[in-house]
Amino acid sequence: MTQYLLQIALAGLAQGSLFALTALGLVMIYNASSVVNFAHGAMGMAATYVAYVLIEEVGVPFPLAFAAALAAAFVLGVVVQTLFLARLRNAPLMSQVVVTLGLFMLIQGLVGLAFGYNPRRMTESISLAPVILGGLVLRPQDILELALLVVLGIALAAFFAATKIGLGMRAITENRYAARLMGIPVGRLLAAAWGAGVMLSAVVAVLAAPTTSVTPNMMDTIVVYGFVAAILGGFGSMWGALVGGLLLGIVVNMIDAFVAPELAMSIVFGLLILVLYVKPDGLLGRATVQKV
Amino acid sequence: MPQRAALVLVALCALLPLALQTIGERQVYWLFVVSEFFVFAIVAVSLDLLMGRTGQISLGHAGFVALGAYSAAILNQRFGLDLLAGMVVGGVLAGVASLVLGFPATRLRGHYLGIVTLGFGIAVDQIALKWDSLTGGDQGIHLHRPMLLGLDVGTPVRMYYVALIALVVTALLVYCLGQTRIGRAFAAIKDSEIAAAAMGVPVARTKVLAFICSAFLAGAAGAIYAFLAGFVAPENFGIESSLLFFAMVVVGGMGSIGGAIGGAVVVDAVKNAAATVSGLSLAILGGMIVLVVLFFPGGLKALLQRRRRAAAPVSGLDGVARQDA
Amino acid sequence: MTVRFGGLTAVHDLDLDVPDRGIFALVGPNGAGKTTLINALSRVCRQVEGSIRLDGVDVLSLAPHQAVRAGIARSFQRAELFPTLTVLENLLVGLHSAMKTGLSGALMTPAARAEEKAARQRAERVLRELDLWELRGAAPGDLPYGHQKLLDVARALVSAPKLLLLDEPFAGLTDAETPRLLDCISAAGKRCAVLMIEHHFELLEGVAERMTVIDFGRKVAEGAPAAMRDDPEVVRCYLGTGRERATAEAAC
Repeated sequence: MTQYLLQIALAGLAQGSLFALTALGLVMIYNASSVVNFAHGAMGMAATYVAYVLIEEVGVPFPLAFAAALAAAFVLGVVVQTLFLARLRNAPLMSQVVVTLGLFMLIQGLVGLAFGYNPRRMTESISLAPVILGGLVLRPQDILELALLVVLGIALAAFFAATKIGLGMRAITENRYAARLMGIPVGRLLAAAWGAGVMLSAVVAVLAAPTTSVTPNMMDTIVVYGFVAAILGGFGSMWGALVGGLLLGIVVNMIDAFVAPELAMSIVFGLLILVLYVKPDGLLGRATVQKV
Repeated sequence: MPQRAALVLVALCALLPLALQTIGERQVYWLFVVSEFFVFAIVAVSLDLLMGRTGQISLGHAGFVALGAYSAAILNQRFGLDLLAGMVVGGVLAGVASLVLGFPATRLRGHYLGIVTLGFGIAVDQIALKWDSLTGGDQGIHLHRPMLLGLDVGTPVRMYYVALIALVVTALLVYCLGQTRIGRAFAAIKDSEIAAAAMGVPVARTKVLAFICSAFLAGAAGAIYAFLAGFVAPENFGIESSLLFFAMVVVGGMGSIGGAIGGAVVVDAVKNAAATVSGLSLAILGGMIVLVVLFFPGGLKALLQRRRRAAAPVSGLDGVARQDA
Repeated sequence: MTVRFGGLTAVHDLDLDVPDRGIFALVGPNGAGKTTLINALSRVCRQVEGSIRLDGVDVLSLAPHQAVRAGIARSFQRAELFPTLTVLENLLVGLHSAMKTGLSGALMTPAARAEEKAARQRAERVLRELDLWELRGAAPGDLPYGHQKLLDVARALVSAPKLLLLDEPFAGLTDAETPRLLDCISAAGKRCAVLMIEHHFELLEGVAERMTVIDFGRKVAEGAPAAMRDDPEVVRCYLGTGRERATAEAAC
């Protein structure tokens, strides 16, 4: 039995790393620009199609296509921030929610229009056989996902703590006006934050592609869980997003194994409502006060 | 919306079936399309009450519609419940279910609420699919011929008028609400919760009330839809539907009944016109939403108002300006 | 009372006695804790230690929306009007506690219509007194700032409060706009207790009967405005020491 539970936990951690990476991207964007990017999944998905086209129709080797997808994601993030969100800097919260939702529909619609909704296969990034370790089956895919999460997580933490750009981004979060007055290039940093955040989404989408196939709605489920993970983590803390994502991955896999996969999201949302009722700022969030 | 224009539109809608008789067989299709539009317009008005008037984001409104539709369908299939009873039951059930969202809403920041309502919509959809002993799963439920207080309303023309009357009644109710104490409280909450509370508005309770009212109307609309289509299945009430209703409110102009109905016209038209090409309607509607938010913040309604205002200057403010100069 | 925000004590052991009619001013430099005091009284701020009593009622036991029914109404430093509603409707929200109509308003029942009519008459009376009646259908956002501040006070007055809290009502007003608000506040002071936060000494001398000066959340001086002007403590916290004053005056 413990074997079985461990297997589930492992699968949970692997899937959780996807949720965590998605949540990290969402939180990075939110921290810099105070916008929840409802188009996050769709943008990562669009970048994945770039990789798909390069691999399947142009014959580019995987690593190069992957890099191209990341570049496309970065550009997409920058474009969205500078063209659409920059204008809404002073608009009410509702407008920002609405515009990212509109972008979600637009991007998904355009990709669907261009490529149709039939699932497409993308050649797997890793074609190694699973490893058996102490009775547990370890898929290289899962290990890659976990490893990437750890590496990226540490890299991001170091980045924000130590580099000039990272510090600049933190300054923007604290007080955008003061940051601008101090000569910090707010516009450029916001664009960079969006670019990096969307890049994370692309990483997730490409990693998930073997399982979900490449379709316009491939990221829909993952991004919803990404939101939940970010909320659980307090939607502001990168560590919270990480922990939230991994935790959620385990919970979802438990539900899949012991209840029913089709009800996983409903149960997760039920749990989320309970959590938020008790802790309205998420499990690890900090309360904010409004000044009048 | 100016009273006279509204009356003219209602009269035109009432006369439409007569005009459609000229096209013979095809009138059944068009009667259905317009009736369906009336139902969607009711949902749009209900969503506008919540989002546009009270400022509470709701991305899962199709969930309330589904609850109303399914409860009416199940009770009709098993017990022969009639249309009016179905509307009441559907509305009440949806209203009660909204408490699940309403109470957390009182404590959640804007985007958290958006995500939670999204989850609600997904959850209702998933449960409808899974609980097949009750809901028929993906096979759905077929309804009997609709009856209304003993009258057979099973013909396309009669259902058309039922839907039209329901829309008119909804619009009137929501309009009157807006002119009175509770409607003002809703708007106050949207504009400034702190000031509203300082004026004596019990903010948390009033937000919940907004959810209940909105959900009730959406649920009742769902019930009508069930009888109209004669059939309910999960695919009609998924996240795509929620996004459609969302688009209706945004494109039409938030905080306005006429805007919601106008938005419903545009979105429904796009949806029907682009139905055959996958992704097209989604792309068009997404593009419209983005354009509206960036360049036409008041939606369609503001666009039309601007043209009218350019013609007739506002009185009273000139006097004020002179006084202070 | 004492009000703490995390590690910062905004108001220390403040004791205030406000008579039930007349204008009482609360004065102090920025950050002295004046708005915190008003937020505490109107129950916007909930972490208050101590006690506040109004006509025997313990105010601290009230939730924010219950303050109006207890007789406490307030205006805001930045007007905080409702831009979606018209001027008249803004006032009608002030009467929310005084009215009972619930969802029956949607049905336009006779009771609902009667209550609505009475409320409108009450609100229009206040607007007429303040010479704002012609603007009753205007959108608050279209009004000049002076009118907005007046409207903010009117909205608090419409509920006939026992205690009217005004948070820097004259802030941002031009000299032309000030007299109208001054008259309004003086008139209000004859009907109820007015606790007013303000910086402008000159205005207070004409209007306030008594005044308390606070600094860093503590009471520094109390008495009639004319006496306060020369009180050394007041001068120190407002205008600095003699040397600083001389330097400032020389620089102008």
